[in-house]
Amino acid sequence: MLSYNRLERRASTLRRLFTMLFSNRIFTLGFTLFMTIIIISLIGNHLFPQEFIRVGNFLPNQPPNLEGHLLGTDSLGRDITAQLFMAVLNSLQIGLIAAAVGTALGTIVGFMSGYKGGIVDSILRIVIDAFLSIPSLIFLVLIASVVKTVDVWSVAMLLSMFSWANPARQARAQMLSLKERDFVYMARLSGMNSWEIVIKEIMPHIFAWMTANFTNAVLWAILTESGLSIMGVGPQGEITLGMMIYWALKYVALFRGLWWWWMTPVFTLIYLFISLYLMHLGMDEVFNPRLRDKRG
Amino acid sequence: MVSYRKYLVERTLTFIISMFFSITIVFLVPRLAPGDPIKTALEQVIVGGGSEIEKTVEEYKRMLGLDKDLATQYIFYIKELFRGNLGYSIMYFPTPVIDIIMRAIPWSIGLLTTTTILSWIIGTFIGAIAGWRGEGSRFFNILAFIALGLYVIPYYIFAVILAYLFGYIIRIFPLSGGYTPGLMPSLNLEFILDVIWHSTLPALSIILSSLGWWFLSMRSMIINVKGEDFILMAEAKGLRKNRILWKYAFRNAILPQVTGLALSLRNVVGGALLTEVIFAYPGVGYLIFTAITNMDYPLIQGAVLFLIFTTCFLNFAIDILYPLVDPRIRYGEE
Repeated sequence: MLSYNRLERRASTLRRLFTMLFSNRIFTLGFTLFMTIIIISLIGNHLFPQEFIRVGNFLPNQPPNLEGHLLGTDSLGRDITAQLFMAVLNSLQIGLIAAAVGTALGTIVGFMSGYKGGIVDSILRIVIDAFLSIPSLIFLVLIASVVKTVDVWSVAMLLSMFSWANPARQARAQMLSLKERDFVYMARLSGMNSWEIVIKEIMPHIFAWMTANFTNAVLWAILTESGLSIMGVGPQGEITLGMMIYWALKYVALFRGLWWWWMTPVFTLIYLFISLYLMHLGMDEVFNPRLRDKRG
Repeated sequence: MVSYRKYLVERTLTFIISMFFSITIVFLVPRLAPGDPIKTALEQVIVGGGSEIEKTVEEYKRMLGLDKDLATQYIFYIKELFRGNLGYSIMYFPTPVIDIIMRAIPWSIGLLTTTTILSWIIGTFIGAIAGWRGEGSRFFNILAFIALGLYVIPYYIFAVILAYLFGYIIRIFPLSGGYTPGLMPSLNLEFILDVIWHSTLPALSIILSSLGWWFLSMRSMIINVKGEDFILMAEAKGLRKNRILWKYAFRNAILPQVTGLALSLRNVVGGALLTEVIFAYPGVGYLIFTAITNMDYPLIQGAVLFLIFTTCFLNFAIDILYPLVDPRIRYGEE
């Protein structure tokens, strides 16, 4: 019975969390924008045949038209609409993987650092700080330039190398404040071991923070992927939003009047950033008690 | 001062560890990569007989100490680093990498310091006025909304859009380079004006993207200060509104902004790599980009290491100096 109650309680915590989130207008707007582009891309990617993005499949440099190429074609004779759907999915995949690995890894490291304290904490904190002070884009440029065959997965893994430090620092701070709370003492007195305490007592308290952090990490990863691609070390064989900009820049689409080529990824990126940022802003309002009180 | 000493030790350790980690990775990555990057790169540059390439590769490896085992190489590499030797470029063989970087550095630092300070001044002042007017003014509310947009959109997106608008549609500004080709770089008025003219669009892309943050943070700071007792007191004394804003509220709200400015100065060398790439601006970012295209690994390695070093060092310097300036900063304790 006891475990059932606990499950019930956790489920209701989650439910309450979602109710709170979706009653926030900013979050709901961001979420709707975000889901819209994902669903459109999923359907679009499914509908368009693979050869639409093969080099030389169509007449190059066609402006947008209603006879098959809604967003035109590029100088390599690829359909831009089909590229866009694939690029959105690939960029999101990179963002989600990097954010998931980074948040998970960072939370574990941060928890360990905050919970253990002492020498372990001192060492981990210095390592976290060291990773935060290294300029990640520059570093990733080097690694990606040597590892010649990067694909969506390896870019995601590379980004994870740097996406764990920020969550780790925050998870550590959270743990430091939570572990002194009464309910943690209670749990310890009742004979729970460290892992049980962390998973059953502390996790629910930081779940909200983790989701907000996750959104931010997705945004960062998509941003950095585009940066890497523009530097010329992106996943050359695949199509991401960053790679679309890279090819457009490489073929001087900007100054040849091929506006449909570069505008498509650029404005999609802006759209993605805004939707993710709105979600983050909304979560901040809901989860951050100080902001919530201000709003009344 | 005991806690400051502890803080100092921790910061120094962090700096040393980040540099040690970076140097090790920069050293290891090309050596562990499949194939022989140096040979491949040389084969691309030198068109000629096989023995010629073999000889150059051998010579090159001897210069870099690549014919020894990994540990010896590593020690040699670090020794050379301490002497300021980052190796030799392949593109511009046999120019030392450090010389090429030094030629690019003034461009990057010049562009970023100017834009960081400009956007800070503009953002802070408009933000102060917006915060003072409060949330009632429709004009400033719209401005805050725009600032949020500017803050979310990354600088290279602005760079692309600006290049299109003012380089292609309305052709007022040049599209690439740091100065008109053929002009001799010197300290005369003509050259300086030419550089400013070429730097306008790259600068604008950075200013636009950082402006939003300065505006928003100053605005919220002023709104907070407005609720303080001393403002009420000043109002009760019957001081003019403008005087209260600039002499009372502004002065109190500016300190966190100054901290923000100091913190953002850490990116003064490597903060605009992509703008440089998009406008072919002769800074370090564009240097790395051309080195990647030409597979000039020593140059990529050297430039990357140089950027990491300057960023980490500025970070470190700001961290240890700032508590001395502002005693309210606590030494890295949560």
